[in-house]
Amino acid sequence: MSLVRRVLDSSALYRLIALAIFGTVWQLATLSHKSMLIPTFTDTMAAIPKLLIPGYSGDESAKLWDALYQSNGALLIGFAISVALGVPFGLLIGRFRTIERFANLYISILLVTPMAAVIPLLVMSLGVRDGAMPTRVILIVLFAIVMLVVNSRAGIRQIDPSLIEMARCFGAGELSIWRRILLPGSLPAIMTGVRLGLGRAITGMVIIELLFIAVGLGNLIQRYDAQLDGPRLYALIIIVVFEALLLIQFVRWVERRVTPWRKTPSFGR
Amino acid sequence: MIEIKGVSKAFPGRKGSEPVQALKDVDLIVRDNEFLTVLGPSGCGKTTLLRVIAGLVPHDTGEVLVDGKPVTGPGPERAMVFQSFALMPWDNVLTNVAFGLEMQGVDKKTRELKALELIEMVGLGGFEKRLPGELSGGMQQRVGLARALAVSPKVLLMDEPFGALDEQTRRLLQEELLRIWEATRTTVVFITHSMEEAVLLGDRVVLMRPRPGRIDQILDIPMARPRSTHLDSVESSGEFTAMVGLLWSNLRAMHSDVRRARQAGQAAATKP
Repeated sequence: MSLVRRVLDSSALYRLIALAIFGTVWQLATLSHKSMLIPTFTDTMAAIPKLLIPGYSGDESAKLWDALYQSNGALLIGFAISVALGVPFGLLIGRFRTIERFANLYISILLVTPMAAVIPLLVMSLGVRDGAMPTRVILIVLFAIVMLVVNSRAGIRQIDPSLIEMARCFGAGELSIWRRILLPGSLPAIMTGVRLGLGRAITGMVIIELLFIAVGLGNLIQRYDAQLDGPRLYALIIIVVFEALLLIQFVRWVERRVTPWRKTPSFGR
Repeated sequence: MIEIKGVSKAFPGRKGSEPVQALKDVDLIVRDNEFLTVLGPSGCGKTTLLRVIAGLVPHDTGEVLVDGKPVTGPGPERAMVFQSFALMPWDNVLTNVAFGLEMQGVDKKTRELKALELIEMVGLGGFEKRLPGELSGGMQQRVGLARALAVSPKVLLMDEPFGALDEQTRRLLQEELLRIWEATRTTVVFITHSMEEAVLLGDRVVLMRPRPGRIDQILDIPMARPRSTHLDSVESSGEFTAMVGLLWSNLRAMHSDVRRARQAGQAAATKP
């Protein structure tokens, strides 16, 4: 394939064009309607390196990196706990109906409750001292875990029952069935759960910091907002979105690596 | 030898409805080294019968003996080939074929050697590193057959194994199965809904009837072995045509019985 064809075929090119159109429209709109609260596209872009590169503009970047460290610490721990608890739990209720009957109500509650309504209660009972790391971790778990549970359960459910029957037929016990059929069979759905759960965890992280516990990125967003610092506010939000995209892309990459059989070419290609 | 004596099996019906009698008082002897085909309309319990022999479904009454020993669960002397192939999509052909041996605790080297031998036997030499998703349906079922043969079973239980394949592939696999069977003479219980397939492959055909599932009659297939070398002339022979005709007249009679029973039931239900 020629280089031109490859560039034309790559989705990166289309993403770039879409971004360029978005930037242009943004720029034109803000130039024609001057507003204090909405910065121009170029001002926002100029603010990004100021925030990111240490020493480029005073101690701005130190604040950002500190906030990133604080927020991501809670995210990392909370998300790890969500995976470590949610996946095994989801797999178990997928396999054993009795356990599921006990758990179903709570899963439904987690799925439908608007988290923003419950957060104040939890914040009150869990405390907000010293950056409230444990509180933030627990809240992130509450945001993310339901995705991991529900998808892991679906992963077990969608396994072809004839595969389990086959394994039993060839003498597999429950342990072998888990190791050779249920775990590999549910891995694609587990990875989907990891991806969706990560998205929820990031959303949760920002919401908590923004509305209830003013630390980390949320705190920084609030401060720029209060200072009416449009360019920095927008730049910061773009950085947060970009980080989320990077994390999600990473999970996608892992997903492709661990479940190569999902995208096998059809025979003869 | 498999002895099935007075076996009945009922499944609980959906909410409110009566239990479904899948098998009622089934007596059957599967002789050593015979190719037994089981034919019948849907709902006649033929698949349940196979799953009872496999030990996947417990029977309510009666007994199932394999070489005199009662069946209480799946066992390595009975291997199954599934209609849906039931291959593990994450494992390559070699690992799939070796699965039965793996479950028996055979070490990796020995089981892979044995698996390679069978992959060769079913005509898939060179494909051992492929994933099932890269294979055609016919090739996937060859893998399923090789996996079953790899554990050197006394009985091969085949549940409509070619039912999901297109016509040409089915013909090729029937020929291949006959060739392998004529070389190994493993006892086979083969479920099918195709009259032609039942006659072409079997030494005897067990004809089953539905509601409740039971054996209608057992017919001997007179055609000589080996058949794999001249399948076309077997199929155009007078014996073949006569057997298929006989099975069809029986099946058609069954269908009209069922229809009459259903009409009678409806009439009774609508009576004031």
